[in-house]
Amino acid sequence: MYNSLTRIQNVFGFFTTVAFVVAALIAASDFTAPRTPSATIKPTNVQVVKGRPHYYSTKKEEYAIIKFSLNADFSSLFTWNTKQLFVYVTAEWPAAPGAGNSANQTNKAVIWDSIITSPSADHLSNLGPASLKKLRKSAAGKTIDPSRGKLSLKNQKPKYQITHPSGKIASTDDVTLRVHYNVQPWVGVLTWNQDSDLGLWKKMADGVSAAFALPALKKKEGEKAR
Amino acid sequence: MLSGLQNPRQAAAQLLNFGLILSTAFMMWKGLSVFADSPSPIVVVLSGSMEPAFQRGDLLFLWNRNILSETDVGEVVVYNVRDKEIPIVHRVVRKFGTGAHARLLTKGDNNAADDTELYARGQDYLERKDIIGSVFAYIPFVGYVTIMLSEHPWLKTVMLGIMGLLVVLQRE
Repeated sequence: MYNSLTRIQNVFGFFTTVAFVVAALIAASDFTAPRTPSATIKPTNVQVVKGRPHYYSTKKEEYAIIKFSLNADFSSLFTWNTKQLFVYVTAEWPAAPGAGNSANQTNKAVIWDSIITSPSADHLSNLGPASLKKLRKSAAGKTIDPSRGKLSLKNQKPKYQITHPSGKIASTDDVTLRVHYNVQPWVGVLTWNQDSDLGLWKKMADGVSAAFALPALKKKEGEKAR
Repeated sequence: MLSGLQNPRQAAAQLLNFGLILSTAFMMWKGLSVFADSPSPIVVVLSGSMEPAFQRGDLLFLWNRNILSETDVGEVVVYNVRDKEIPIVHRVVRKFGTGAHARLLTKGDNNAADDTELYARGQDYLERKDIIGSVFAYIPFVGYVTIMLSEHPWLKTVMLGIMGLLVVLQRE
């Protein structure tokens, strides 16, 4: 009955039980922290150019380059269980009339994203030593830094130039920009921006731009010379 | 010790007990699989392409039903490349169209480029059927055991041996 094997088993069993209960409590604590995210976004400069998907490709496609201004306050999303916040901006537009079988066929593409780590996860960031040092210094002595959730971008260049599988994107109407976020916890459920209020979590205030149209194709400088 | 060997009835009971433990674990896994509609409802992260969100050895829980909404841009999905049985955990960054044949493009948060290079030859986009689930919950580090086991195969033998010994030696 009381040999060392059963003792080891009991200790290990008790350890895992306690670890999972504590983890579950931490995960549940997310729902007790109110979330009041808000964001405003508007496109500032839009152009469409011709380009190739990669260097060796002979296919020419149209690429939309959408510069935008973003003001966002995601500070309430940073709690003790927040590992990182993934903020992303999508451009969304309906399918070209006649091209799709239904009117609500939509296209969605991320044009910009950003990983905002909590100070507790700074050491995991994929950064050079200099910028990592700067990042850690910015939150020295803090375990939670809500000020990181405040974004203010002016005329920001997109990280991704977007196109459509058909290769045509110029003169598209009804394009909107939308701000999204994804909260990555240390343990528990992953959460995204909701479309409606959920308990203490409010839906994002605003976060959508007015609809705009992409301009007609603009020739690159290099192509004019040829 | 080894009293089971002298008593055949007890030996048989212990063997059954061992079988019961194995089949319970198998049933739970398969039950979870049916519940989440995914061939692999729990996966272990094997690469650092989603860092800092997911490290190697972290455990991810998948959900593969589209009850409220379709798989959308921003979701972290696990997919299998056509004809390859290596599950990859990346984020959906583009979606063209709706329904089962919507074209999806994925990218790892920690990668500079999207996954076009990872897909099969001639495959430019994923479809819904390539995806075996979206990540909805996360437990850090617990899955590291399986990475250890696959990188040091002798550990498997040792573990199985210890487990077998424990069950056989256990009285009652």
